Amino acid sequence: MLDFLQALSDGVLFGSTYALIGIGFTLVFGVMHKLNLSYAAASIGGAYCGLLILKVVAAPPLVVFFCAFLAGGVIGYLVYLTCFHFIPISNPLATLMATVGMLLLIDEIIVHMTNGMPLNYPALFDDVMLRWGDYTLRGDLLMVFAVSVLCMAGLLALIYKTRLGLATRAVSQQTVAAQLCGIRVGQVNAMTFVITGLLGGIAGAMIGASVGTLSPLLTTPLTVKGLIVTVIGGLGSVPGAIIAGLLVGGFESVLQQFRGVTERDLYVMLLLFVFLVFRPDGIFGPKGGRD
Amino acid sequence: MDFYFGLAQIIGVHSLLGLSAYVVLLTGQVTLAQAGFFAVGAYVAGMLTVLAGWTILPALAASSALGAVVACAVGFPALRVKGLMLVIATLAFGEAVRLFFFNFDYQVAKGGVKLGPLGGEGFRQIRYFPENGWTTMDVMLFIWTFVVLAMALLWWFDRSRYGAVLRAVGEDELAAQSVGINLTAVKVSAMTVGGAIAGLGGGIYAHYTTHIEHASFGILLATFAIAYPILGGLGSVFGTIVAVVFVQGFLVEGLRFLGDWRNLLFGALIVVVMNVRPKGFLDAPTLLWIRKLFGGKRGAA
Repeated sequence: MLDFLQALSDGVLFGSTYALIGIGFTLVFGVMHKLNLSYAAASIGGAYCGLLILKVVAAPPLVVFFCAFLAGGVIGYLVYLTCFHFIPISNPLATLMATVGMLLLIDEIIVHMTNGMPLNYPALFDDVMLRWGDYTLRGDLLMVFAVSVLCMAGLLALIYKTRLGLATRAVSQQTVAAQLCGIRVGQVNAMTFVITGLLGGIAGAMIGASVGTLSPLLTTPLTVKGLIVTVIGGLGSVPGAIIAGLLVGGFESVLQQFRGVTERDLYVMLLLFVFLVFRPDGIFGPKGGRD
Repeated sequence: MDFYFGLAQIIGVHSLLGLSAYVVLLTGQVTLAQAGFFAVGAYVAGMLTVLAGWTILPALAASSALGAVVACAVGFPALRVKGLMLVIATLAFGEAVRLFFFNFDYQVAKGGVKLGPLGGEGFRQIRYFPENGWTTMDVMLFIWTFVVLAMALLWWFDRSRYGAVLRAVGEDELAAQSVGINLTAVKVSAMTVGGAIAGLGGGIYAHYTTHIEHASFGILLATFAIAYPILGGLGSVFGTIVAVVFVQGFLVEGLRFLGDWRNLLFGALIVVVMNVRPKGFLDAPTLLWIRKLFGGKRGAA
């Protein structure tokens, strides 16, 4: 029982990073009705860029995280420019393929710059362990969770309390009507990518901080899990992605505890299929019924 | 010369993969599951020739049939998810298949050596072609016979009512339904045909590489599968073949002189091509132009 609680709590804390990746996928889908398959790779890329500052000056971990945050935003804008800005909206297949090309490109750039070697990532509070008997709460996971929660709160405040958020919601509901109201759709789309890029940079940095190393091999499983989180939470719903991320994180960790690492991912897929069969719209499906 | 035969073999097998995705993409379903059917076909054909001693043609028929059955089973739940969710669901299915084979052990001792798939290590010693004295040219011709057959089948579909029905469903489901087209039948049948071709391709792949493992059937292969029809354009079967030749011949082999930079260019070129020609190489206007070139006065369709 204690093992189960331990695995569950560790998983839920780590699942907050999956929630951030899921939010990124779901925001872009909600606003543009397109999938950006390169998002997880861009997050890891942002985390790598955060490490670049360490080459210049021995900076504290918070500065590294902040650099990853900023780099993620820049990469997000680049992805928007190359994959979404110039391709006409009526061609969803072309944008999908272009994002796949960006995924491959970002992966290869990372491999080239690091010669394929995993790099150590700085962590905060990794020596702090809160104990109650046999049950431990890792300090670094708590910090990851706290940062993720802060980012999610910031994002929700942005979406529901600012004019940019209002414009984003308007474009995601009815693009033509939003244009008629004078909202510049191109600018909103670009800002969505920058915002999700910023989130992605932090998510990548948090994953690096909790795992301890960064490797280009992280991109593929992260893409798959991020997409699963997005689908379970409902495409286009940010609260859904948050809850689904925590759910997938906890589920994965519990199953790893009881069935081992090699079968763990299989069960995550099974979770997805169960949701697809019983609730294809996800936990909080889109109300309008558009897809 | 053997090098070019080998290249032609790769192009042939990838063409089968691309054609299997082409037929499903025509109905508007973006599927990343073709690599999963490919994997199923590969392991089944390998096990049948190595462990059960079958000859190559029945083994390929069985792998193709099993690919079709699995695809049919996937086709029905796929109807419940719309649009881009299907991408994610099929991606997860492909990963699930790969993880299944990662955990799959089935070894039989044959003449003192244990043969068969062994989880992470994969399935070695699928030596049907070398044991029966096939040369590289024999294998290449064998592969291309099947590619030509698959192309002929799909080209014939395009000229028949079935092709028109497939494209109608792909263009506008609601309009197709209102004309009386049975969406379920069309989508599941397209998925099944795609699964059959992918299973066949997988069986051939297993035999010409002689060693298969779960890692080769991952997301990269799945994205290659849909990249070929998207890059080549959905207007015609030949578009997919052009795209396979472009990717495997030009990007993978032709740019080999660039060394490490080749992989960088790969992703970048895909992005550039999608920006410059969003509908693929052989889109409708290009096809019309080609027909005019060859058809002369009768070309204006």
